[in-house]
Amino acid sequence: MASSTSLAALPSQLASPARRAALSRSATARPRHHHHPLLREPPKGCRLVVTCNAQTAVPTSIAQGTPVRPTSILVVGATGTLGRQVVRRALDEGYDVRCLVRPRPAPADFLRDWGATVVNADLSKPETIPATLVGIHTVIDCATGRPEEPIRTVDWEGKVALIQCAKAMGIQKYVFYSIHNCDKHPEVPLMEIKHCTEKFIQDAGLDYLIIRLCGFMQGLIGQYAVPILEEKSVWGTDAPTRIAYMDTQDVARLTFIAMRNEKASKKLLTFAGPRAWTTQEVITLCERLAGQDANVTTVPVAVLRFTRQLTRFFQWTNDVADRLAFSEVLSSDTIFSVPMNDTYQLLGVDSKDILTLEKYLQDYFTNILKKLKDLKAQSKQTDIFF
Amino acid sequence: MAAMSSRCAASSSSSAFLGAPLPGGRHHQGSCGFVAAGGGAKTTVRVAAALDTEATAKAGKSSSRARRARKDGGEPGGSSSTALLAPTHPDGGGGGGVALDDVIVNPVGLGRRSRQIFDEVWRKFSRLGQMSTVASPEQEEQEGVLFRGGGPMCDFAVPGAQDTTVLVVGATSRIGRIVVRKLMLRGYNVKALVRRNDQEVIDMLPRSVDIVVGDVGDASSVQAAVSGCNKVIYCATARSTITGDLNRVDNQGVRNVTKAFQDYYNQLAQSRAGKSSKSKLSIAKFKSAKSLQGWEVNQGSYFQDIYPSRFDEGTDASFEISENGQAVFSGFVFTRGGYVEVSKRLSLPLGSTLDRYDGLLLSVGGNGRSYVIILETGPLADTSQSKKYFARMNTKVGFCRVRVPFSDFRPVNPQDPPLDPFLVHTLTIRFEPKKQRPGDSSQGASDPRNFQLIMEFIKALPTGQETDIVLVSCTGSGIEPNRREQVLKAKKAGEDALRRSGLGYTIVCPGPLQEEPGGQRALIFDQGNRISQGISCADVADICVKALHDSTARNKSFDVCYEHVSKQGDELYELVAHLPDKANNYLAPALSVLEKNT
Repeated sequence: MASSTSLAALPSQLASPARRAALSRSATARPRHHHHPLLREPPKGCRLVVTCNAQTAVPTSIAQGTPVRPTSILVVGATGTLGRQVVRRALDEGYDVRCLVRPRPAPADFLRDWGATVVNADLSKPETIPATLVGIHTVIDCATGRPEEPIRTVDWEGKVALIQCAKAMGIQKYVFYSIHNCDKHPEVPLMEIKHCTEKFIQDAGLDYLIIRLCGFMQGLIGQYAVPILEEKSVWGTDAPTRIAYMDTQDVARLTFIAMRNEKASKKLLTFAGPRAWTTQEVITLCERLAGQDANVTTVPVAVLRFTRQLTRFFQWTNDVADRLAFSEVLSSDTIFSVPMNDTYQLLGVDSKDILTLEKYLQDYFTNILKKLKDLKAQSKQTDIFF
Repeated sequence: MAAMSSRCAASSSSSAFLGAPLPGGRHHQGSCGFVAAGGGAKTTVRVAAALDTEATAKAGKSSSRARRARKDGGEPGGSSSTALLAPTHPDGGGGGGVALDDVIVNPVGLGRRSRQIFDEVWRKFSRLGQMSTVASPEQEEQEGVLFRGGGPMCDFAVPGAQDTTVLVVGATSRIGRIVVRKLMLRGYNVKALVRRNDQEVIDMLPRSVDIVVGDVGDASSVQAAVSGCNKVIYCATARSTITGDLNRVDNQGVRNVTKAFQDYYNQLAQSRAGKSSKSKLSIAKFKSAKSLQGWEVNQGSYFQDIYPSRFDEGTDASFEISENGQAVFSGFVFTRGGYVEVSKRLSLPLGSTLDRYDGLLLSVGGNGRSYVIILETGPLADTSQSKKYFARMNTKVGFCRVRVPFSDFRPVNPQDPPLDPFLVHTLTIRFEPKKQRPGDSSQGASDPRNFQLIMEFIKALPTGQETDIVLVSCTGSGIEPNRREQVLKAKKAGEDALRRSGLGYTIVCPGPLQEEPGGQRALIFDQGNRISQGISCADVADICVKALHDSTARNKSFDVCYEHVSKQGDELYELVAHLPDKANNYLAPALSVLEKNT
């Protein structure tokens, strides 16, 4: 139900002639930061004839386009937790990486420090997208909207625009990250959007690779490890859901192995970590490794759901409600994981190479204990006593 | 209700604020509500209270927020990204005045802090129900230390990379760019030598790379580039096939770099009044008549019979200074099985022993003959116990430098143990006609039993654990045949200069380069000019980076290419499955089987 209406309700601006003019203008305008060896042709007029329409776009005529190196990659969402690991792995394997970031007064410097090219565009403004796709062979999409923004703008409309542009401009591989079991939870808006996007990609006719993820280990650091070390309170739910966390560096590594594997083309893979953990288990593990007990505040899942219902009442907190919708999943699913043996065999990966949560947290605590001591000593705020 | 009173207190106190200027916080009778702020909303928050304050926040949102914004100049609160909720003053203690006679309170700070606390509480709460989390800036900083650029938890970490500076020559080439990126990812400090400093080049390289502008053919700019560097990766090659270019980049450039590197280390050593660990040790320098002291000329025979046969026409040799001041060892050997040699007992400077050295470097001018170098080891007191080791040295017509590594020496007596350089006491250079190959590049048709050896110096080459310079050369199979000769000649000259410089070297000769991502296919390492396949630039870059710290890579030259995958059904042997594991340390085992000092 949701999928059909969403597909029909595409933004009509894609078909407008004004947009086409915008495309040609951007193809010739050639912003200054595009002076890199991928673009050898001088911009003499518009050599790319592109049409976008509301249905799945079919390239009507692509006259001689810009030559495309098979090692050129565009990473969307390169500043995120997963995106930056994808960029690093791509750079190490010799790809020429272009990152799509939003124009900021204080731009993310670390991407250029690593040697990636940075181009400015915004998924919520589709006219900025085509210029970034020139000369690109593969697009890796790790982007999602920030919690304070409405979901639909970036995660649905922006992605649709990106996919249609990619199809029209002849991108030869599209990698998309989705969420495990997104087809089973249409009441959670983000999962429903991801599911619709998956179907859209599959119908668009691109050579795609869709990867469903369960959870990242990196998020656990800020949520549990840091509060335990700083002796602050740790908030957890009592949900029995087990989530199989995975290291983002492993996700990036496996993504590239899958990208080059012909057997994984036009496939939907799921990556899950080696073991599924509940919140309580993670907190216990952190306590054990840190050597101190945590000050745990357990929030019943019912309270989360209640808050969600409450925030849905008010217009301005609707976005918060959407974000809190995951609490529905927490109360229903018990295991957020899949067996990975077949995937490992398909990709030719040894399961022993995947980092476990114990090892990850152990490395973290060993290293950070020294560093945090210094940081703590510097930034200790004086409490106010009366 | 508590909520109502708190709101009243909030508005009244804020209006009190607007009226009275704050000279730094004194007794604020009316602003008592802030007192309990610190303790109240801290760790043991009851969720119900949170919901309450949230409800009041929505109600009183706009007004107090606007005033707060004007007061603080729009300061962002805490680290939260939820801008929806207002900064409230959770002063559940109600109104009333508690006199603050003795304590100086800064209400602005208090307000900010209470807002921070509330934001943090809300963030933690809402995080529970979220799928993905956005890390706060401080956390990003902390994580960055660990995960970025070679930190301890990153996949690419190399121990010791933070202290190593690598100079990449040819950083704008296909291989060079990937090398620079890989080095940055592993946390090395990178310096790049480029010819032009324009925008295109700057965009091509990562931002924290130290760019030095100069040309490899120019010794002074190379000097500036090399200073401060521990290692060099040389991926530059001539972009055209003009002989001048080839010589400049592939030949002279390598020489300049090696010389500058040695000079830099000598300079460093001088400043600490020591010796550079990379400089060569001078064993003998033949400059004047005095340098000939200690050298004895002997003759002998391999045949044990002492009766001179009637075919014996004599043997004569001498070692003396010629008119142009050169030390010449010359003579002829007509005796069958005879030889002449010149030898000297070594007198090394105090404190140096040959075990810290890897081989000998001789600068000689021969006329194409080959000679044998013999080292005698053994206790100094008792020469009858010495063992002899020999190695062959070929000379070209004209002056050349010959490198003879200690690993090339074989014991004369096969049962003896391998050469231990520490015990060497005598060095001998021997000429024996019986071992001359016919047509051995001799001048015209002169008799191979004559010889003339002009000796300039003998030095020892230092040993080390790791390679110092990685040079990317080529096999020539990717170049058109008509240009191949020239290119190979220039490259070989550069390689030889590097080998004789005394530095640890690794010479990588890849097959024809392809633009593919690296790490996909198995690689073959070989040392025989037999390779036929291509290889991707990224793989070559990976080899260069891995060779920097690998002791099996020191002083080796090798070719590398992809493994040839034969068609289905055509296989003569089973392909060994190459599963790259996470660490992907393929280099050490592959190179350990190759011959050293080639």
